[in-house]
Amino acid sequence: MNNLAILPIILPLLASVIVAFIPKKLNIVRKLSQIFTVVFLIIVGYIFWKVFANGPITLQGGGWDAPFGITFIADYLSILLVLTTYIIATAAVFYAPYSLSDKQEMFYFYTFFFLLISGISGAFLTGDLFNLFVFFEVLLMASYGLIVLGNGKVQLRESLKYVLINVFSSMLFVTTVAFIYSLVGTLNMAHIAERVEAVPAEQQGILTAVGILLFFVFAVKAAIFPLYYWLPNSYVVPNPVVSALFGALLTKVGIYSIFRVYTLIFVQDTGITHQLFIWLAMLTMIFGVIGALSTNNVKLIITYNIIPAIGFILMGIGLYSEEGLAGSTYYLIHDMIIKAALFLLIGALVVAAGTKDLSKMSGVIQRFPLLGWLFFIGSLVLAGIPPFSGFIGKLLLLQGSLGQGEVLLTIIALLSSLLILLSMMRIFVRGFWGEKMEGMTTNPRKVHALTIPAVFLIALSIFLGVCAEYVLPYVETISNYLLDRTEYISSVLKG
Amino acid sequence: MEIIMIILASILFATAVYNLLQKQFLRIIIGTALLSHGAHLFILTMGKLKRGAPPVLDEGVANYADPLPQALILTSIVISFGVTSLLLVLAYRAYKLNKTDNMEELRGAENE
Amino acid sequence: MVYAVFAPLIFAIIIPFLSRLKHKIHTGWLILPVPLLIFVYFLQFVGSDFKTSIATVDWIPSLNISIDFYLDGLSLLFALLISGIGALVVLYSIYYLDKEEQIGHFYTYLFIFMSSMLGVVLSDNVFVLYTFWEFTSLSSFLLIGYWHYRERSRYGALKSMLITVFGGFSLLGGLILLTIETGTTSIRGMVEQADVIVNSPYFLLILVFLLLGAFTKSAQFPFHIWLPDAMEAPTPVSAYLHSATMVKAGIYLMARFSPIFSEVPIFFILLSLFGLITLAWASYMAVRQTDLKGILAFSTISQLGMIMAMLGFGTSYAVFAAVFHILNHATFKGSLFMIAGIVDHETGSRDIRKLGGLMTFMPMSATLALFGTFSMAGVPLPFLNGFYSKEMFFESSLGLGGYSGSFVEGLVTAIPIIAVVGSIFTFIYSMYLFFGTFRGKYKENELPKEPHEAPFMMLVPPMILVIGVIVIGLFPNFFNQALITHSADAVYGADVTKDIKFWHGWNSRAFQMSLIVVGVGLLLYLTKKKWDSIYNYFPGRLNLNRVYDWIVEKIESASNKITTFYMTGSLRLYITLIVGTIILITAGTILFTNGSDFEISDVSSISAAEVIISIIMAVAAIGASIAKNRIAAILILGVVGYGLSLLFVLYSAPDLALTQLIVETVTVVLFLLCFYHLPNLTKDTSSIVYKGSNIVVSIAYGLLMMVIGMTAYNSRFAETISTYFTDNAYKLGGGDNVVNVILVDFRGIDTLFEIAVLFGAALAVFGLIKLRQDKGAK
Repeated sequence: MNNLAILPIILPLLASVIVAFIPKKLNIVRKLSQIFTVVFLIIVGYIFWKVFANGPITLQGGGWDAPFGITFIADYLSILLVLTTYIIATAAVFYAPYSLSDKQEMFYFYTFFFLLISGISGAFLTGDLFNLFVFFEVLLMASYGLIVLGNGKVQLRESLKYVLINVFSSMLFVTTVAFIYSLVGTLNMAHIAERVEAVPAEQQGILTAVGILLFFVFAVKAAIFPLYYWLPNSYVVPNPVVSALFGALLTKVGIYSIFRVYTLIFVQDTGITHQLFIWLAMLTMIFGVIGALSTNNVKLIITYNIIPAIGFILMGIGLYSEEGLAGSTYYLIHDMIIKAALFLLIGALVVAAGTKDLSKMSGVIQRFPLLGWLFFIGSLVLAGIPPFSGFIGKLLLLQGSLGQGEVLLTIIALLSSLLILLSMMRIFVRGFWGEKMEGMTTNPRKVHALTIPAVFLIALSIFLGVCAEYVLPYVETISNYLLDRTEYISSVLKG
Repeated sequence: MEIIMIILASILFATAVYNLLQKQFLRIIIGTALLSHGAHLFILTMGKLKRGAPPVLDEGVANYADPLPQALILTSIVISFGVTSLLLVLAYRAYKLNKTDNMEELRGAENE
Repeated sequence: MVYAVFAPLIFAIIIPFLSRLKHKIHTGWLILPVPLLIFVYFLQFVGSDFKTSIATVDWIPSLNISIDFYLDGLSLLFALLISGIGALVVLYSIYYLDKEEQIGHFYTYLFIFMSSMLGVVLSDNVFVLYTFWEFTSLSSFLLIGYWHYRERSRYGALKSMLITVFGGFSLLGGLILLTIETGTTSIRGMVEQADVIVNSPYFLLILVFLLLGAFTKSAQFPFHIWLPDAMEAPTPVSAYLHSATMVKAGIYLMARFSPIFSEVPIFFILLSLFGLITLAWASYMAVRQTDLKGILAFSTISQLGMIMAMLGFGTSYAVFAAVFHILNHATFKGSLFMIAGIVDHETGSRDIRKLGGLMTFMPMSATLALFGTFSMAGVPLPFLNGFYSKEMFFESSLGLGGYSGSFVEGLVTAIPIIAVVGSIFTFIYSMYLFFGTFRGKYKENELPKEPHEAPFMMLVPPMILVIGVIVIGLFPNFFNQALITHSADAVYGADVTKDIKFWHGWNSRAFQMSLIVVGVGLLLYLTKKKWDSIYNYFPGRLNLNRVYDWIVEKIESASNKITTFYMTGSLRLYITLIVGTIILITAGTILFTNGSDFEISDVSSISAAEVIISIIMAVAAIGASIAKNRIAAILILGVVGYGLSLLFVLYSAPDLALTQLIVETVTVVLFLLCFYHLPNLTKDTSSIVYKGSNIVVSIAYGLLMMVIGMTAYNSRFAETISTYFTDNAYKLGGGDNVVNVILVDFRGIDTLFEIAVLFGAALAVFGLIKLRQDKGAK
């Protein structure tokens, strides 16, 4: 049964190879990819249920016991994120045929898509620091493949910057792994945690410094202030479905790694590290919303909105309390789903209006009411209006921050929520409302096809909010589990 | 010896970053290559140098060099190779389409 | 009770389907029974033997969020207003809104609002209250933007949303603090622990958070600016949300929490001060308006200020008066809005400068308006409810005390004066509203339509409200015992028994104040033309709307400036910033934690070969960076790579050396292939500063890595796990070459996915070369 822990990684890898063999037979590839994704989703759902019923599933790769082999651990947090990833993947795979050109699909979209899912699931599930680097490379390589898809002038330009920045942070990652290996002589995260804990307090300095270095590796990926410069433009240029995958999943892998490393390994000197997170969280929120308000490019507005959300999640990690971590987990899941939904909707809006420029749009809701109302609800979800999913996470986070007397943090979080709402309502009021514009699409059926997958995600967001009672026990399990590292360590090292 | 290696790796890092900050594609990609060399040297050094024979088991040898960093470097070299090849082709195509190899001229504008 | 609250919401979901029948029957008729039934339901609680009741539904028990609907006197008063006026507004709207419009949307929004507002006033759980609170803001946004093709509607909708949601978020902050301090999410629970709250270190913050919520929602100065722009909504909405119900949510909130705060001087000061400023300012501004609904909007603001101030006074008399006025205001203001809508509907204009002399065309409307305006003005007649509460307001403004401090004493002296001044202007605009519209000269040419009386059914809703005005005026104590006392009890937190009397005698100070208001008001109204140029000087060009516009405009333009300042798209800037941040914060951490250590022991010997190779590599690395020829640069880079593989040989890593050799060779060939077609390297002509900063950043990064590397090398806290691999490679892994065994067995998954990376790279390269759809397409 332990092999279940690696299925979410291996299955999409196989799928990616299979669809690579028949790139030209688009109809088959599409159907096949859709079937694969749905089947995988069901399998992951089963594993999810298993984990929450019986506790974390640990797989010692190749049968080598930790810390010598590579351990995969489907624990509460990772399996929840893997499940969310597959949910988003399912929405994306049904959206893709309508959004991409045939040529883009033929040039291995589905292969890269599955490779991305595989890499992301691997990053969530692995219990080994170097292996995490490898999965980062897998998902990055898949993202390189996706971002250059289409081969446009602008795309190539932004891809080049994107790849370069990621190469820089990957190399920093490897170097940091080397430093950690030198310090504690092991690569398994649970083992590192155990050994770090044994280090006397007065010698912790170098560990904290290396910890900060590792934080920056993840912070570049997670788009935390001031390291997110690469993000907005590189997420805007690709096709909406690719943007949705990036926006919902890629940055979240970075923030997940921070989650993992800073609840498991580097929790010795929270006065420095976690306090730093709180400051960075504030700045991330502020500059993120400022970005979201700075432009008339609708897709860029959504893209910038990734950043304050990361700030919210980082805030909970920085608080490092039961409420904070529960809030961050909730917010993380919420944000993955709603970001995917909004990117998909914006893709539909751009097709409907025929432009990305908000100042040239108006009255779209008159022809596409479903799109308009979904976008409206999505905006409310994003801004954390109750009873939708964003509110529950925000409530927990604010309770955590006020409970620790972080008044400034709370005020900034509240104000950025307001500005997030403003940035979204600008699109609704100027783009959807108003006189019916000239030059709307002549192909309304395409718009409808692009809208449907988002319905599913928005419905899920509403469920996560209104029926929070069903979800909260899971989140509370996760937060207690993260605060008490022994379960993770024991299930890896003695599993 | 380790000290010299650490200094060398740091020099590689410094030159790498210097190259990353340049304008022309070629220099920037040279930067990434130097970066990976520096990182690999760091990994090797962190596993202690010259502490035994190559890690190929042999009768009568008691001390071997630490094999784990070597394995990591091998993985990393291959990955870096993949990324560098992609980067080279990408740079070439980007040059062909944008008609410049100057990164500073590739800033872009809104609403594209 | 739960059904009563959620019924409109459930209907809101069905309405879009009902509205398909709109050509056969106006949707309004179909849904009219809903608010009516709710009204009847709440009516059964009314009576002198009123008992509170509660209904509970679990929602999110993990967060202590459950839907507890708690019906006390205050909630009941509001619930009756919401459902009663709601029913009248639906009836009115049937005649106001054309079937051709998207009336389905209208009623959906309206019903969402109705549910939310009922939820606000009935929820005992603060987070449920907050949920409904935000939904009133949102439904208000949608209703104001109902005619969204109008620019002004969009502007007004966004403005109201921003200001009220700003208040909503602030309220949320306050509510969270309250729950943390008291450990409960129930308002009643909080009231019981009032002393905990008052003595909390966060008390002031809680108060400010809550006040911001209440002031924005109830349009108190300086947040009142959204309300006049909200008049872009269809008139039924203005009558309902923006005069009778939603804007009173802030009042409700303050009333609800006043048992906690009423003993605290700062609460008295802030509420009275802002309430009175709002009263005076808005009534002064109302006189200047030319749009009927504009006058009514400012009038609403000023009346809300008056109620807010009375809650601030906090005496049992003032609280009673406040609650009484909530009811009275709803009746006369609701009817006046409806009349304004009728005038607009039947003449095509709401501009009071174009109106006049409509009495002859619209006698019914005029009569109704007469009662409404006179009640609003507080004309001392025994059948106008407005007079009673106005006089009680004067009475309660007198003789406030019990607080010390010169500021408070000054305020206490000023309160009656401000009250009178505000009321004088209220009198003026009330007269202006009535006489300007219905009397005077009829201006035939100015009106787009031939004026005529509205259909009878359209007059019914305002008529019912006016009858309310009169009945309450005639039998105030009937309402007092059945309803108002219970409400006031709930707000004051103790029994408030009051007898409402019309006549207090000539010596009553309040009556004298009323006389001053009427006298001076009449004088000023008659001479209005002579003095109204004063508005050119004060406020003149001063305008809070400009402040709002400026802020919104600035947020956008400043965001744009800030973002374009650092998001230049320049890779060099990005890398500089990223590397710079890493250097600063990591170096800071090292200094702060004393985390560096250079006393390296345990090093291996130095040999000449290694030193020479190292020097060659270092020189080559620098050389590759400054070479002026592309071929030379690539080849020199190759030297670094080959040097590295030599080092691998020296350090017992033969596999690495081999791999490095092959990869380096292939890479160099690839480099040459790609860059043969690219332009040659050019001389770096950038400025010294530019070059200098590059050099500084790179060297700093190198140094940082060196410091960490040295320290990490020197601080070994545990033995490596590698001995396991050498011990077991043969035994368990079946291979001699430990590195190979690790790669294919111990860490085989690394290798599998390393191949996956290569696979991805190969396909991406293939795609890059083959797929050139852009050629010619763009």
